[in-house]
Amino acid sequence: MDASLLALEGVDLGHGDRVVLPGLRLGLRHGERVALLGQSGAGKSTLLQALRQRLGETAAWCPQQHGLVPGLAVYHNVYMGRLAEHSALANLWNLVRPLAEPWRQVAELCEALGLAGLMRRPVGQLSGGQRQRVAIARALYQRRTLFLGDEPVASVDPHQALRLLELIDARHATSVIALHQRELALTHFDRVWGLRDGRLVIDAPAHSLRLADLDALYPDAGTAPGGVTQQGEGNAGARP
Amino acid sequence: MSPPDLTRDASRPGWLAGQSTGLRLARHTLTLVALAMLLTPFADLAVVTRDPWGELARMARGLAWPAWGAVESPLEALGLTVAVALWGTLGGLLLGFPLALLFARSRLVRAGCAFVRAIHELFWALLFLQVFGLSAATALMALAIPYAGIFAKVFAEILEQIPGAPRDALPPGVSRLSRFVYAELPLAWTRLAAYTRYRFECALRASVLLGFVGLPTLGFQLETAFREGRYHEAGALLWLFYLLIASLPWWGHRRLLPLLAFGGAFLLAPWPEVSGSLLWRFVSQDIWPPALLAGDWAGVLDWLSRVPELGPAIGNTLLLGLLGSVGALLVALVLWPLACRHFGNPATRLAGRGLLLFLRSTPELMLAFLFLLLLGPSLLPAWLALSLHNGALIAFLVARHADAITPGMPDANGVGRFAYELLPRVYPGMLALLYYRAEVILRETAILGMLGVATLGYYIDANFEYLLFDVAFFLLLVTALLNIAVDALSRRLRPREAAVIDDPCQR
Repeated sequence: MDASLLALEGVDLGHGDRVVLPGLRLGLRHGERVALLGQSGAGKSTLLQALRQRLGETAAWCPQQHGLVPGLAVYHNVYMGRLAEHSALANLWNLVRPLAEPWRQVAELCEALGLAGLMRRPVGQLSGGQRQRVAIARALYQRRTLFLGDEPVASVDPHQALRLLELIDARHATSVIALHQRELALTHFDRVWGLRDGRLVIDAPAHSLRLADLDALYPDAGTAPGGVTQQGEGNAGARP
Repeated sequence: MSPPDLTRDASRPGWLAGQSTGLRLARHTLTLVALAMLLTPFADLAVVTRDPWGELARMARGLAWPAWGAVESPLEALGLTVAVALWGTLGGLLLGFPLALLFARSRLVRAGCAFVRAIHELFWALLFLQVFGLSAATALMALAIPYAGIFAKVFAEILEQIPGAPRDALPPGVSRLSRFVYAELPLAWTRLAAYTRYRFECALRASVLLGFVGLPTLGFQLETAFREGRYHEAGALLWLFYLLIASLPWWGHRRLLPLLAFGGAFLLAPWPEVSGSLLWRFVSQDIWPPALLAGDWAGVLDWLSRVPELGPAIGNTLLLGLLGSVGALLVALVLWPLACRHFGNPATRLAGRGLLLFLRSTPELMLAFLFLLLLGPSLLPAWLALSLHNGALIAFLVARHADAITPGMPDANGVGRFAYELLPRVYPGMLALLYYRAEVILRETAILGMLGVATLGYYIDANFEYLLFDVAFFLLLVTALLNIAVDALSRRLRPREAAVIDDPCQR
């Protein structure tokens, strides 16, 4: 179970010529659940993009802005997770009439994610939380062993966030998930990666860390008590 | 904060001096107006007819008391008008959509589309008339070919603007077609459909106008009735046209369109008997100067020197285009407050909106035709028609844009609201719209020649009539190139700081 999936040895990551994360060193092992923390703009998305590129087809991907198509039904949006596995003709036909097998599988997923009865509804008509779950359903539908998520539980309540993370865990051996709920990072993950100003300042097992250690990642939040973090990132910039 | 620079603020700025957007645009506009005024003496603006006011009164009487009974088989003309518009748009869609997908990648496709767009529907009709005669094929191709170029450009722009997130979220290895139908087409669908709808409205107007070259649509009867002074019958036809346009939301319903298309297909007659050899001769020989085909370059130069009145025709076309654009700007400036919720009372607004609706849904050619009957053949009727139609169109869009603005000082009086609250906000967009329209105005300018105004269109029409296809085709090419050049120029001159007013008429 200790097989290394990926190792970065002093790699510069960024977009085009702009380096966001210079000289990055980190390793990802099979079976590890990693929480990725850091302020917005710290480079979380850049790191996840790079992981996605390197891991290729082994990784299921749940992007930050969901990447959903508002005009298409929930079913079709979830189906898009496996667009590459069907022929173009089958994909076309699926728009006219849903294919039987995918429809059954997507229905099962929607049931598990609390989206039952919404499969025919255009995504544009859903609430923010529902859209988030559609994006997760799409990633789960890809059936990969590894899950990469850029804030997949950002706009749901803490209770639901926990349930969604458990669903993700049940179906993927390895995961790297960016989030901003610090407590969840400690209680629910094996390892924490903390980014600050383009550097990986925390790379440690979750059980060896305390909330106060994580506060160092959020200089703007001052000495916010741990309880505040549950309400989300919206108040990260506010003084207590 | 640095202390205020008292020495600089103490001196009052001179006339229109300063670097604010409003002042810069004001100077820009005044330069345009000055240029137009400077060139006005070169334009032939004489009133030739003897009693324009009496004629106008007779026309108004005709419109007020239309003679419904005098119209011959109105349903047939209406049906054909709709069928041509519908199938012409469909044809343009079928040709243009695949081109839209190639548009960004192929310079050849872009150039080809720019060329077919630059020639007005009526000129295409004149060209095809020589081969297919007065037939449905002429009418359909006259619409479908320029619309293919327009669809290709506009659809390519729409597809370019869709958000990229869904595409990026796809797993690796998705085929091009699957990616297009799942992550691109659905995102653009609403805008594509809205634009197609708008184009169909244009096609409807163009389809009516095809009557002016002799095709039996509504415009044919309209033109004859007006020309022969049967104003009561013409009034009835004009009302029929407005009813057709105004009732479009009801009969042009999405679910009804397939039925209309199917039914309309039976009205599209007569179909021509196309002779392949004749068509080939037309394309390969008739439209080219004989000297060019023989490879005789001296002969080509000689032929060129005998093309009549080329310089004055181009000059008139450009002059009318400039005058029309400036006129449209002035008309729009005066008219937009009439239809805007920030001015006047409900009665004046209703009247204002009615006036704008009337002016913008009447095609320029028809307006110009009416003014021509009133004022005689000079640049004047064309200028009036271009200014009023395009001015009303811009005014309508600007008024709609201004309606969405909430003034910061609600107590200001009308003039204050106009000058301080609204005009500074809408003017940049208004000027940008005008520059967009400049190309359309020039296209129309050329076509107004068919009514007898001495622009390029006049000579194209005349040479087709004399069966001098080589000269006519050459003039068509000149017109197209002129259009492309003016389009490029107006893109360059267009003020950059414009707040975008959504223009459904983007080309």
